[in-house]
Order: sequence, then structure tokens, then C-alpha cells
Amino acid sequence: MGQKQGDMVQGTLEMLILKTLALEPMHGYGVAQRIEQISAGVFRVNPGSLLPALSRMERSGRVKSEWRATENNRRAKYYQLTPAGRKALKEETNAWGRQTAAISKILEA
Amino acid sequence: MGWFKNITAGLKALFTRTRTEREMDEELRAFLDASAEAKRRAGMSPEQAAYAARIEMGSTNAVKHHIRQAGWETAIENSWQDLRYSVRMLFKSPVFTLVAVVSLALGIGANTAIFSLMDVVMLRSLPVDEPSQLVLFGDGRAAGSTNSLPNESWRLYSDPFFRSFSQKNEVFSGVAAIDSIEFSTHGTVAGEGREMMHASLVSGSYFSVLGVTPGRGRVLTETDDQTPGSGAVAVASYSWWQRHGNDPATVGKTVRIEGTDYTIVGVAPQGFFGATVGESPDFWIPLSMEKEISPGWNGLNDKWFQSLYLIARLKPGVSAAQATANSNLLFKQYIRSEYLGQSPSQKDLADVEHAQIELTSAARGLSRLRRQFSLPLEILTTIAGLVLLIACANLASLLLARGTARSREFAMRMAIGATRSRIVRQLLTESFVIALLGALLGVASAWKASHLLLTMASHSPQVAAMNVSPDLRVLGFTLVLTIFTALLFGMTPAIRATRLDLNGSLKQGRGIAAPASRISLARALIVAQIALSLVLLAGASLFLRSLVNLTKVDTGFNKQNVLVFSLDEYSAGLPEDARLVNLQQQIEDRVQTLPGVHAASFSMFTFNQGEWSTDVTVQGIPRTPKNSQDVLNNVVGNGFFSTMSLPIVAGRGFGSTDRIDSPKVAVVNQTMAQMFFPDSSPIGRHFGFGDDPSHSGDIEIVGVVKNAKYVGLQEDPEAAIYFPYSQRVQYFGNFSVRYSGEAGQMIPAVRRAIAEVNPNVLVGSISSLSEQVEESTSNRRLIAKLSSFFGVLASFLVCIGIYGLLSYAVARRTSEIGIRMALGAKRSNVLWLILREILVLVAVGIAIGVPLALEGNHLVSKLLYGLSPADPASLFTSIAMLVAVALIAGYLPARKASLVEPTVALRCE
Repeated sequence: MGQKQGDMVQGTLEMLILKTLALEPMHGYGVAQRIEQISAGVFRVNPGSLLPALSRMERSGRVKSEWRATENNRRAKYYQLTPAGRKALKEETNAWGRQTAAISKILEA
Repeated sequence: MGWFKNITAGLKALFTRTRTEREMDEELRAFLDASAEAKRRAGMSPEQAAYAARIEMGSTNAVKHHIRQAGWETAIENSWQDLRYSVRMLFKSPVFTLVAVVSLALGIGANTAIFSLMDVVMLRSLPVDEPSQLVLFGDGRAAGSTNSLPNESWRLYSDPFFRSFSQKNEVFSGVAAIDSIEFSTHGTVAGEGREMMHASLVSGSYFSVLGVTPGRGRVLTETDDQTPGSGAVAVASYSWWQRHGNDPATVGKTVRIEGTDYTIVGVAPQGFFGATVGESPDFWIPLSMEKEISPGWNGLNDKWFQSLYLIARLKPGVSAAQATANSNLLFKQYIRSEYLGQSPSQKDLADVEHAQIELTSAARGLSRLRRQFSLPLEILTTIAGLVLLIACANLASLLLARGTARSREFAMRMAIGATRSRIVRQLLTESFVIALLGALLGVASAWKASHLLLTMASHSPQVAAMNVSPDLRVLGFTLVLTIFTALLFGMTPAIRATRLDLNGSLKQGRGIAAPASRISLARALIVAQIALSLVLLAGASLFLRSLVNLTKVDTGFNKQNVLVFSLDEYSAGLPEDARLVNLQQQIEDRVQTLPGVHAASFSMFTFNQGEWSTDVTVQGIPRTPKNSQDVLNNVVGNGFFSTMSLPIVAGRGFGSTDRIDSPKVAVVNQTMAQMFFPDSSPIGRHFGFGDDPSHSGDIEIVGVVKNAKYVGLQEDPEAAIYFPYSQRVQYFGNFSVRYSGEAGQMIPAVRRAIAEVNPNVLVGSISSLSEQVEESTSNRRLIAKLSSFFGVLASFLVCIGIYGLLSYAVARRTSEIGIRMALGAKRSNVLWLILREILVLVAVGIAIGVPLALEGNHLVSKLLYGLSPADPASLFTSIAMLVAVALIAGYLPARKASLVEPTVALRCE
């Protein structure tokens, strides 16, 4: 049940998190939910991969976190992009675009 | 900046672990709440929602584990956990830990001790500026003085050559001269009591060439070393200064040596001991004071008195080849102009055709010790290495057995989620802990042991004073060695132990699941230990037997009951003429009248003190290759032969009729007589020094004395000539006394007698002739002792190894033995069954070890005496010892097996 690492292209989880956070700061569950919604249920991210990924990204300075109250007044850890994270998102999106374009070309050839 | 943040965050996480954990818990809870909330909104009941959210998350611990692993600090935490766990596990089996740590400590300690000795003697650079730029002229393999022109690479140089060369050469930034002899003398500092002093005579350029700056005051300079007799100044060594209480007022004091006052102008920096490893002069004195320091040793302005070592510093950018070329050019010119004259004959030219300067690196300084010790140190290094290998093999087999015993534990840990690499890492941590404990213990003992080794190897107080305490380099060596050993003995058992069939291991009640390969590896390790031990034991027994052979050698003289006093006659202040002879004879006469003294005599040499050898030509005997070899010379007093108990076999010894103005006489030994006069009597024949048949033949042979050993016990019979000192006036260091009774009472009596004759003559060290003989074999003694010690140690380790393997094998086979016995096998059959296993291993080990031992023994054949490297007796003794050790080690487990009660054994299953 739920997402398996193999279902997602290697290394894309971080990019998806970056993209999700680019819209607005969010807490962990929000990120998971947003990814699932936007991908129409194709990607289901469980906390076992999401939280370590967020921790890793925080460690490398792409996101930062703070504790805030949620919409229904609970405390949660909100993550937001840092300038470095924004830059990384741009680079990874570009690289991803080039790669998928190349892959499509090969598949269509 | 990312990495910086990473590190700081990691460190923060390490130190604020509880907070980090709390935040993690909180975040997970928040996640769960949010997830449940969303599910509720989607229509689930609160219970259902909470349940589903929890299932989605899975084990919170697993999630937390994953989060933790995102940071590098977890690796440290894991290692820390491993470490604590390892220490706990080791404490749980103290006997295993003790055996492992002690055997490793012995292995690592031996290697460290020998390496630190090797480091000091062979490897360490001189504590000077840029040592790699320093070169020595020649190989430094000679000391003393020579007046010949060697037709080979020169080793000793004259003062005029040094001065001319330093001016003319273009490749060195400086050239320094050092007297090849270090002078032992007595002196007084600022009028206080006399003390023994070692002085090194050096050129004024010495300190600047070495790049040594003063610790206090100043060092010697060119201006101190101008004309002979000028420059009565001295630089004290740091260790001398330290022995004199680090007196701040030392600089400016005077030290009086042989009647000359020297002003102490400075103290050398700490750690600087000169250019010769194994010597540590108390004072450096300008070469210009040579005659004042040692009246009989005056080479200033004498091109035939070649007694200096030259050390030079290469100019930056000059290669060794360029320097050699330039030096030899100057050298050839100098030989031509100074020694050969304007029109040298073809023969003269041919005689110096191969004379040359060979530049050798002086980065590590000069050392006689290095030559003396290099072979023994190499042998000891090999032995220590073998011991460490055996210890490792032994530990590996112990760990293998332990791994088997712990297989249930490993299976359990893997079943609850530990990865194999994690367990291997933890097992290796255990090995490292063992190795580290062993290393700590080893280094602690090496601290003492390397000093002990040094004193065992050499009785010279200067050598014993060398600083051999392990330094950072040695500790680095030990650390590398430790890591290496831990990997060596820990890796395979760790990998083997974790190669598990989980279900099988967990199911088995006894927790024993040993694949056959693990047993065969353990067997291979035992075989390797036996083979290596055989190499060690065979070597040790060869060294021991050689030593025994040497001690049985007939020295010719009687070494018992002879005291050898080292006298400083210079301090009497007499010139080298009849007055000195008179003093020497008075001392001999006075001492001979003491009760209990049979004979007493001065001599140039007693035994193993160096040699003075020359070419001699006998009148009327044509020169042949056989009789053209150098013969050994000695200058002795009238009572020398009776002091040494060397009987005169023909003619007479020396007496009062041999005076400075009477015809020159000599006594030869039997070998010399045989060499020149195989068919006739040598008495009354004349000879002279050198190879020129037309010499004066001024020396008459008056007697023949029994052969003796002169330089070493292992030497072949040497031709030797004795001269009376009444006809060859000189200072002596040796004064030998043959006595009966107590040495303890004799020594003060002799001291008193000498003081009565002349209170200025100082008695230095006192030894006995038998000590001198013993000391001549100190190297061999050292090797024999250490190799035997290590050989026994190795057998002991093998003993432990075999015991461990067999106990384990017996435990494994209990049920099999039970069945055998139930079917009628006798106890003796069972005993044999187990012992047979070990005998097979021993046989294989010996079969491998014998060729190895023979090969190894060949390498040390230089150090053997009266034995062939393939000496069968030594080999058989070693084999017998190993078999005995194996049987002893195997008997206990085998007996235990034979006492198995079949009913009990079968019920166990």
C-alpha cells in the first residue's frame, strides 16, 4: 500500500517537494497531500520517505522550517524554500525538461 | 555554504539530541493528526481515521530511524553504540579478551620496540636544518687516521685538503670537518671536581653547515678555528648542560681539559647530539685545538694525517652528480699537486687510479651503530613481524570459534532488522577495541623494552643514553600496525560469522551451525601458526647453538681473573718520551707488588677493541700473496703475556733489557711464525713495515707466543706481532691486572696504588677481560635471547590456538563421540580420534614450515658460527618442541572427549 520508492523516478522526490513548496510554505502532511492531489493519486508519498527527504533538504540548506499554528490551530512544522532551494528547483526543472525531452525523442524515434 | 550548515546542524543535533528527538516526535504526531483529520473529513469515523493514518505511516521508529540517517552524525552515534556494545561483549568473556589483548600486546609491543630502535638508529634524520642537502665524503666506514693513499673511495681526509677544498669548491654552500675520533677525557668546570667528558673536534664551519643555531650563547664560528692552538672555546651539549642543572651562568665559565682552559661560549639546542648517531659529545671544540686535546693526535697542516670526516651542504639547485663531478675534479688536482709531485711515475698514477670521492647522503648522520645493528635489527624486525602474524592468526581462529558460538545472537539481530554490514561493522569494532587495547599495552611496554634492548645490545653508556622513547612517528607506525592487524584478524571471521542461514541458526537449540568451510579455515590458521612458529624456533635454536659454539671457542688467553682498567694518562701531563715510559713502568711495578696480583701490564689492545694492522716484509723471505696480508699489531708492557696467560712457545718475552736505545724487538704469534717460517725458526729474523723488500729490517723477532683471538671470537687464526712499549712510546687506555681473590677488594687496592704513583692519572671505567669477551658477542646474545623468547611465545600462542580449536571441535562432536562409544569405541580410541586430528595439522604445518625455515636460515647464515644453516639438530629440536606443544595442547580436549558419557551425549541432541 502506498508509494514505493521504485514507483518514482530516482531523485525526483526532492524536486517535487521543491516545486510544491515553491507555491507556499507547508507542513509535511500538506506536502504529501498536495503531491498526491496534483498527480491525481499517481504519486503517494508516505512519511517514511517524505520526512527524511525534508530533513536532508533542510540539512543542505534548500528549505528551512519553523513551527507554526495550522489552519485548525495545531502546531506543525512548516517548511519553506530558501533562495538556494529556489535556485535548485530551477536547475532541476531545466535538467528534468532536457532529460524528458531527450527520452521522448528516443522513444518516438 | 551548504557543507558548513550541514556540519553545524550535525553538531547541533549531536549535542541537542533530546531536543531533536522531541521535535521529531512532535512532527510525526502532527503529521498523524493532519492525516487523520483529512481522513475524517473524507468521511471516516475518528477511530477508523486514526487507525488508517497509523497504518499509512507504518512504524514510527522506522520513520525516525530514516530521518536520523539523513544526517552524518548518525554514523558517529552508530559507531559509539558499536563501541559500547563491543566493550560490553568483551567484558562478558574476560578470558578471551585477556588472551587476545595480551597476545596482541606482545606482538605489537615487540614491533613497536624494535621499530623505535630502528627509527633512532637507521631512519631518523639529523635534527638539523634541511638534512637532505647534507652529504658525507665517503661512506664513513672508517675511523682513526691513515697515512696511505687508498686506491678506492676515500673515507678520511687531511686538514690541509679540507681547508683547500672548502675554499676552491663551487658546489657546496659550506664544508665541515669532524675528527673521526671522539675524545674521551677528563676535565673540570670552573675549578670543580674532575669528570669524564666526551669532546668532538670540529671545524669552525660545523654549526653553520649543519644549520644549527645556539640554544644559549653562541656556536663555533670560522674565527674560532684559525691557527693551531687558537680558539680555546667550547660549545656544551644540551644534555651536558641539563646534567649540570641547566645552570644559566654556564656560558662564560671555563672548562679545563688536559691543562688548557676553554671558555664555554654557548650551549647547543635541545635534541642536537652532533652528526654521529650513537655518540653524544659533551663539548664541541674547534679543530684548531687538536693538539691540546690529544697530544699524540696532531693532524693540523699535515697532509699525511688523514683523520677527518667531511660533511658538506649542497648549494640549492646543485645535483648530487654535479657535486660529485666537481669534487672529484678538485680531488684529483689535489692528489696530483700535493702527493704525487710534478712528474709522477706510471706506477704512482696507477696506485691512485681509483682514488675518488664518493658522496653519500648525510641526512641521517654518521653511525657505526647503523652498521653494527642493521643486520640484527632486520632479523629482529622479521621475527617481531612473524610473531605478530602468529598472534593475528591465533586471534582470527579464536574469533572464528567465537563467531560460531554467537551465531544465534547474530541471527537474532539480523532477524529484527540489522543489516549484515551493520553486524560486520560491529564485529570489526570489537576487533579494533581488542587491537587498540593490545596496542596501548604494547606501546606502554615498548617504552621500557626499547631501552632494555638498547642496553642489552650495547654496554656503551653513550648508546644507552640515546633517546629511544617512542615519538610521534613510532606511534603512527603502531597505529597503522594496529589498524592493519585488526583488519587482518577481524575481517574474515566477521564476514564468516554473518554468513548465516537465519532460519537454521535460530532453530538450532545449541546455536551451532558451522559450515565445514569455517572449520577448514580454522585448521588452515593452525597450520599457518605451526609453520611460522617452526621458522622462529629453528632460527632461535640456530642462534642459541651458535652462541654456545662461540662461548666454547678457545680465546688463547685466559679470560678469567683479569681486570681491565681504563686509565687516562694524558691527565698526568707528561710528554711522549722516556718519562712517560717511566711512569707506566712504575705503575706496573707498584701494582704487581700488591698481594693477590700476579701480573699487570699496559697494552694498546686487550680484546675486541679495534685493530692496528700493517703490511710487513721479512728479510730473506720473498713476498707471496699469502704472506702479504696485513698482520695485527699490539704494543704491550713486559708483563702482558703473563697477564693474559699467553705462554711463550719459543725464544723470550719482553724484559728490562728492551729499552728505547736497545735494538728493536718483537714477539710474533704462532700463526705469524707458521706463515713466514714454515720450516725454520723465526727467532733472530728481521722484518720491517711496508711492502718494500729493501726496507731496513730493523725489527728482530725474539720470541713466539701462543695464538689468541684478537678482534672477535669468530675470527680465523690471525697473524699478530707484539712490540714492547719501551720502544714505542705512547699513551695507553688499557691497564690489565691478573689477580686472585676478590675483584671487589682488588679494584680499590689498584686504584690506591696508581694514585700513589701519580695522583693525576685517572681511573675511568673498569671491566674484566671476561666481560670484554662476553660483550664482543652482545649482538648475538641479543638476537639469541630475543629469538628464543619470541620462539617460546609463538609456541605458546600455537598452544592456545590448538586448544581452542580442539575444544570447539570436541564440543561440536559430542554426540558423534557418544554414538561411537555407544557402539563400543574405547576411551583410548576416542583419545586417538581427537589427537590424530591435531597430529595431522602439525604434520602439514611442519611440512610447510621446514622449507620456509631452511630458506630463512640461509638469510642469517652470516650470524651463525660453527653451524650450517641447515643444521639438522636445530631443526629436529624445533620440530620435537612443536609436536610436544601440540600434544600438550591437544591432550586436555581429547581427554575431555574420552570422558564423554554416551548416555548423556545422546540425550543432549
